[in-house]
Amino acid sequence: MKESREVLLRRLEDAARQLRRNVWRALKAGGGGHAGGSSSAADMLAALYFHRLRVRPTEPDWPERDRFVLSKGHANAALGAVLAQAGFVEDALVDRFYGFESPFGMHPDIKLPGVEMCTGALGHGLAVAMGMALGARIQKQAFHTFVMVGDGELHEGSNWEAAMAAAHYKLANLTAIIDANKISQSGRVADIIGVEPLADKWRAFGWQVREIDGHSMGEVVDALDGVPFHAERPSAIIAHTVKGKGVSFAEDTYVWHSNNVDEEIYQRAITELGMP
Amino acid sequence: MNAFTPVDWRARAANQTRLAFGQALLELAARDSKTVVVSADTQDLLGIRPYIERYRERFIEMGIAEQNAIGAASGMATTGLHPYVCAYAPFITARSMEQVRNDVAYANQRVVIGAAASGISLGVAGGTHHALEDLALMRSFPHMTVIVPADVDEAYQATLATLDIDGPVYLRLGGRVEEPPVSPPDSVFRLGKAAELRPGNDVAVIACGALVEPAVRASDALRAQGIAVRVINMHTIKPLDRDAILTAAAETRGIVTAEEHHLTGGLGGAVAELLAVERPTRMRMIGMPDTFAMVGPTMKLRAKYGMSADAIAEACRSLVS
Repeated sequence: MKESREVLLRRLEDAARQLRRNVWRALKAGGGGHAGGSSSAADMLAALYFHRLRVRPTEPDWPERDRFVLSKGHANAALGAVLAQAGFVEDALVDRFYGFESPFGMHPDIKLPGVEMCTGALGHGLAVAMGMALGARIQKQAFHTFVMVGDGELHEGSNWEAAMAAAHYKLANLTAIIDANKISQSGRVADIIGVEPLADKWRAFGWQVREIDGHSMGEVVDALDGVPFHAERPSAIIAHTVKGKGVSFAEDTYVWHSNNVDEEIYQRAITELGMP
Repeated sequence: MNAFTPVDWRARAANQTRLAFGQALLELAARDSKTVVVSADTQDLLGIRPYIERYRERFIEMGIAEQNAIGAASGMATTGLHPYVCAYAPFITARSMEQVRNDVAYANQRVVIGAAASGISLGVAGGTHHALEDLALMRSFPHMTVIVPADVDEAYQATLATLDIDGPVYLRLGGRVEEPPVSPPDSVFRLGKAAELRPGNDVAVIACGALVEPAVRASDALRAQGIAVRVINMHTIKPLDRDAILTAAAETRGIVTAEEHHLTGGLGGAVAELLAVERPTRMRMIGMPDTFAMVGPTMKLRAKYGMSADAIAEACRSLVS
């Protein structure tokens, strides 16, 4: 029986809440980390892994799987946590964040099941994802490739090389999700180097753009289900988000781009997040 | 499915390793259906127009965007394809070095970089277009195989040999300069196994790429003077043929390295690193001194900066005197 929309959204919202709890759990294990960008991405990651992506957690290398590349790799606490939640890796991995010889470090490592590329040096993932989309086309495979980039990450010029080429090759099997949380490491993106008008930039580069509230599960699901937005263009979902979403003291501040997390801070965070 | 029709590739390669690479891609694609060629607006530089005509569906032009070419090649490799990136050595190693390091080497993806116009082969183009640090950069990355063919036969065979390398490869190729044949007829390229081109137990010259041919000339000239100079063509910089180097060090009075690359970190550096630890040996190093090359024809620049048969012969003499 098909899940009703209401049930679907509630399930994904619960998964996102659980994911945020797991992000803070990882950060506690590591003594700190990138709470801000991990939390802004959490609703979209939940919708991807528990609704949209055709993946097989027990067969992570399944050739026909949809691809997801976390180009903003500093949000790896959220990626590792969602992979654990989805069953790609054991739940215990969450507690090995930053651990000695752990496959779950600050940034994604391809050696971890479910991770598609080593990212985190910014401005790499879009080109790699475009290569995956080209690989699908050349080999006549039906999978879709999603890549999540940060808005601050768009300072890196290599993104625009990839954006130009993806449109040139009419890669409708490629979707970029821009986690526009408006804040980078040192302050507000608009003050560091402005990226607006963001939607116009992507449109000018030949992408079909939709802007959403990245914390409205309904809008997130509709956007992910709606791609490709155009039969001959790559899709860009500009998701307006709040850095550190879900925990009041971490919200909308560069201080929580990355910060230390001790037991007390952890308890305050998960108390605010509530029970899953 | 794609029967390979042998062509007179040697004539088309015209004694230029960059063109031999482009010719070898035709045979490679016929043998391996996963081959895909990625260009950084380098269709003539690498001589790949025949490939493009034959295998249009397995060709991606990325334009003048090296970072994108490497990143996309890595992404394609993750889907099971075997990408060959055609590019300028100076740009693909320096500009997109982070993509090579992270997306290719660190992620250990099967991407072959065909890097033309290495060294000072584009002499008149000036220092912006010279690649005199690429071997140092590329051999410092774990997982990376580094090959420097000395002539078209070696370049063709080395390109085919990448079929059996399940990881990243840097294939250093020449520019628009003739690279005279040095490989004996019917010689077989063996990855990681140096080729001895001249015997001799007085001195050994370990050379790669464009300086192999001058090394052979130096050896022949010195033989007439009673000095027996072994010439070793070290076509694979990584993995290095340790045995050939250690044997040469044991059997001769000294080692001369020769390469069209800065003296820092290239073949000479690799040989010195090995010998310093395993068997300290008197050495001379022939290569580009610590300066950017001036503009000029490649042969004149080689002579100016001491990368010539005369300079190699002089270095050999200094080790036996």
